[in-house]
Amino acid sequence: MNIELTDLTRRFGRTYAVDGVSMEAGPGVFGLLGPNGAGKTSLLRMMATVLPPTSGRLRLLGRDPGSSGPRREIRRRLGYLPQNLGYYPGFTVADFVEYFALLKDMPPGRVPRAVAAAVEQVGLGDKAKAKLRTLSGGMLRRAGIAQAIVNDPDLLLLDEPTAGLDPEQRVAFRAILRGLGERATVVVSTHLVEDVGAACSQVALMDAGKVVFDGTPAELIARGEGSGAAGDAPLERGYSAVLAAARSVPATSLATGTQHAPETRA
Amino acid sequence: MTDEGVNWEAIFSRDGANWTEPDGRDPSPPDVDLSRVWTGVAAAVWRRRPGPAERLAARLLRSPGLARALVTTPSLLLGWVIATVVVLAAGAAATLGTGTPYVALFAPAVAGAGIAYSYGPGIDPAWELSQSMAVSDRMVLLVRALAVFGLNAAAGLAAAGVAGVAGGTGVAAAVTFGWLVPMTAVCALTLAAATVSRSANVGVAAGMSGWAITVLAGRAAAGRLTAAFTDSSLFLPYLAFAACCGAVAWYATRIPRGTS
Repeated sequence: MNIELTDLTRRFGRTYAVDGVSMEAGPGVFGLLGPNGAGKTSLLRMMATVLPPTSGRLRLLGRDPGSSGPRREIRRRLGYLPQNLGYYPGFTVADFVEYFALLKDMPPGRVPRAVAAAVEQVGLGDKAKAKLRTLSGGMLRRAGIAQAIVNDPDLLLLDEPTAGLDPEQRVAFRAILRGLGERATVVVSTHLVEDVGAACSQVALMDAGKVVFDGTPAELIARGEGSGAAGDAPLERGYSAVLAAARSVPATSLATGTQHAPETRA
Repeated sequence: MTDEGVNWEAIFSRDGANWTEPDGRDPSPPDVDLSRVWTGVAAAVWRRRPGPAERLAARLLRSPGLARALVTTPSLLLGWVIATVVVLAAGAAATLGTGTPYVALFAPAVAGAGIAYSYGPGIDPAWELSQSMAVSDRMVLLVRALAVFGLNAAAGLAAAGVAGVAGGTGVAAAVTFGWLVPMTAVCALTLAAATVSRSANVGVAAGMSGWAITVLAGRAAAGRLTAAFTDSSLFLPYLAFAACCGAVAWYATRIPRGTS
């Protein structure tokens, strides 16, 4: 298993952003769904070794990221796209991707070809020498995806990767995801259920820091059938039904994307 | 056959895609992977050629990633370096005119600001991403801080030397080496404050305020503006303070082991 989480918790003050999450994932595309504030980003940041857990056990690519040697090895094989991707305005797309390829400890001789392949893969070939400050939001997002995949990662973590992409780019991106998922573990955090339906083989739904559903997209759809849950698409109805059950409210009163505050404890 | 440094022959022969055959056969063999060829071309065309400083840093640090991080330090960019030299040159000129060692007054504050603006969440837009990289962010911080400090120390030594020699002051050597210790303390303070507060501006404010208070307190106690860096009894407390600030920065950038 590339990801093994056991009773993982992350607390900010008295607020539990992630509350006792346990899950495992091997190769494939894994969707992480949930409303705003559900804890998806905190969970992803812990898996990216950026945010240490408060308690619980975390193993990535068969290693414990709590020790510096294994953490470095994990990071060499990791691709991460944060929700808020900062960028250097004076860098070109190729410079930006190359910079992170070098920081990922890639052998320098392999870097130029890997950069070219990643930039081409996200469809930014004609903008490779353009400064980042001249790019649109969608193009910047694609540059971010290029740096995430430049090292051909075994574990790819993408936080809201399709934000800012137009429909054509999103379709192309899902194809990239499916291709990567044949060999690597790809975790996609999103609140766009159509991304999950089109690209993911497994899906977890989070609410208030907890995983309230873990299964296949088909199983999530089945949860919505006959429930009377709100939603225009079968996956949306499944999403609403699961959230309603987790919150013990009628499914019909729950709109997709409703925010639910994380739990606080004394 | 080169064009702007691109070795086209090597690219095509490496990928098995020669343009012409000696016997005049079809120059495009059916098994040529054009996408792979294009990637090779693009890699050669888009490749960035590191400058001599980056190549030297990569050799010394044994890490091209760390070297790239070093040469992209915001407070080592040309504009900042020029500003530093201008400030220290003005200090040297003021010293020549008044006899007061202004270089020693300016240098700690300038270096402290440079270190606060060398790395961190307040100054690096891709800080979150950098933290997930194999090259340790703490190493990047250390190397950048060391480089900024080294540059400022060299520039400050040069300015103090010029002012001391030309001014003929007997305390030139003592002042030159004396201000390096306060500078270490001020840089450590800005680094610790910037790291803990996650803001370079807060780091600069803390460093500047700390140094101003120290100078003014020295003046109030001894009646001399330069007491903060000429009083040798202060050097040990400065070093102890720098060590404490270094420990704070180290603690604030650690990743706890409590993951299992």
